[in-house]
Amino acid sequence: MLLNGTITGLIMGGILSLPVLGVAVIYGITGIPNFAIGIIGVFGGFLAWYFLSFSIGLAIVIGVVACFAIGYIIQTVLLTPISEKGGDATLFFIITISLGFVFEGMIRAIFPRPNISLELPHIGTIQLAGVGVEAFKIFALVFALGTLVLIRLLEEHTEVGKSWQATSQNLKLAKLVGIRTNRVFSIASGMGCALACVGAIFWGSLYNLTMLSGWDLGFTGFIVAVVGGIGNIWGGIISAMIMGMVMSFSGYLLGGMWQSVILYCIVILVLIIAPKGILGSERSL
Amino acid sequence: MNQSLLHVSGLTTFYGKVCALKSINFDAHDNEIVGIVGPNGAGKTTLLESIAGSLHIAEGKIEFAGQTIEHLSVLKRRELGIMLVPQDRNIFPLMSVKKNLDVSVILSEKAERKELISYVYELFPVLKERRRQTANTLSGGQQKMLAVGIGIVSNARIILIDEPSIGLAPKLVTRLFDTLKRIQQDTGKTIVLSEQNIKVLHIADRLFGLEAGAIRFDEKTENLSKELVKDLYLGSID
Repeated sequence: MLLNGTITGLIMGGILSLPVLGVAVIYGITGIPNFAIGIIGVFGGFLAWYFLSFSIGLAIVIGVVACFAIGYIIQTVLLTPISEKGGDATLFFIITISLGFVFEGMIRAIFPRPNISLELPHIGTIQLAGVGVEAFKIFALVFALGTLVLIRLLEEHTEVGKSWQATSQNLKLAKLVGIRTNRVFSIASGMGCALACVGAIFWGSLYNLTMLSGWDLGFTGFIVAVVGGIGNIWGGIISAMIMGMVMSFSGYLLGGMWQSVILYCIVILVLIIAPKGILGSERSL
Repeated sequence: MNQSLLHVSGLTTFYGKVCALKSINFDAHDNEIVGIVGPNGAGKTTLLESIAGSLHIAEGKIEFAGQTIEHLSVLKRRELGIMLVPQDRNIFPLMSVKKNLDVSVILSEKAERKELISYVYELFPVLKERRRQTANTLSGGQQKMLAVGIGIVSNARIILIDEPSIGLAPKLVTRLFDTLKRIQQDTGKTIVLSEQNIKVLHIADRLFGLEAGAIRFDEKTENLSKELVKDLYLGSID
């Protein structure tokens, strides 16, 4: 049970870490909490499902690119202008939640089914210390960790990545030295939504994808990101893994009904002890 | 006097209902150091931020290199060649010294970038020694050097520096001012710095006195009585 629980926990954490990365990238760079990110990701998942019969690769690309474009456009025409006019956290909460309902409504209106399963090719089972695990689940975990490493490499070694860091650490100075901060915000928002879409596609291929999954992914992603230290990418991943383990073991020991009770009690406890999260917020603004 | 690079006329700025600058006229020419002096609350920072575009102005005209710029964004003004080094929060705190400079050189030609960063290391060797160190772990003086370094690598035609001496020990102030003079001589850039420290008299070609948002004087340094400036405007004396 210990091994099974650990493996399941790591995989749940890995999938959860994708929307968490999305939240961390968006909030870390723009300073705006976007609660619509999960439902936008699920909208991309539904799009991918719609095109699945044509080609799997094409379907995934369409979903991810559409979510990047949605995130980019929302930031450019809505969130950045509101932020420049002094919009506060409450306003962003209301606006992004409303955006979430807009996309939920669009899923209902556009797609014929409210509950889908993305049937991706079965790539076999891998034996881990005597426990058989679906290779696709391992792929999801490796993909999440690979994405994290890629984001870190981009930040360290590319001009774009350094501009992200600079913008998140000191917006005023970033503007003064000539960084196109509004474009940085838009790209960050697009990337965050694209990551949420990848998370939704993995989720939809392992479990079922519904409109509620969007709120689940978005809110759980946000809470996990806060527990890790909002905007802190490493903190978010560590937090996702711990939360995955908590969900897995509480499920094994107490049954699925108790998972969320245990999980959110731990969240509250961690935030009382460390209000800035496990690794603290990287956002210095 | 040589060509006017920056020309400000009738500049008026408000903070809410409080008038921070009242119809200010201000000029800076190619290759000169202009000191803006005045007590706290005189409007020095407001003037610099209005020129850089960080603050909206109520009235007035700002021309840079013959172009009207008061309607332009910070980024557009930066692209034209205006760089402001703010008084506070003037570094990227969680990035290394090297990365601070790398990211600030972004608008310069690629061929020039390495040279500009080397020049900053030549001016401030301690920054080269500590290039891998995270910026917020540097001492106050070193952070100030890094902030000026960020201004230099921006390769702007005019660098506006807001109270660079604040919080520095007297020896460091002298060294920093000597470095600013050297930058002017080496590069021919125009430097405008707001100051309360009397030592600005040693490096400035011209002083511009502000009090309660209004101009008190605009004179070449050699025409000004040191005692008058000291008594009227400068709080920090050796």
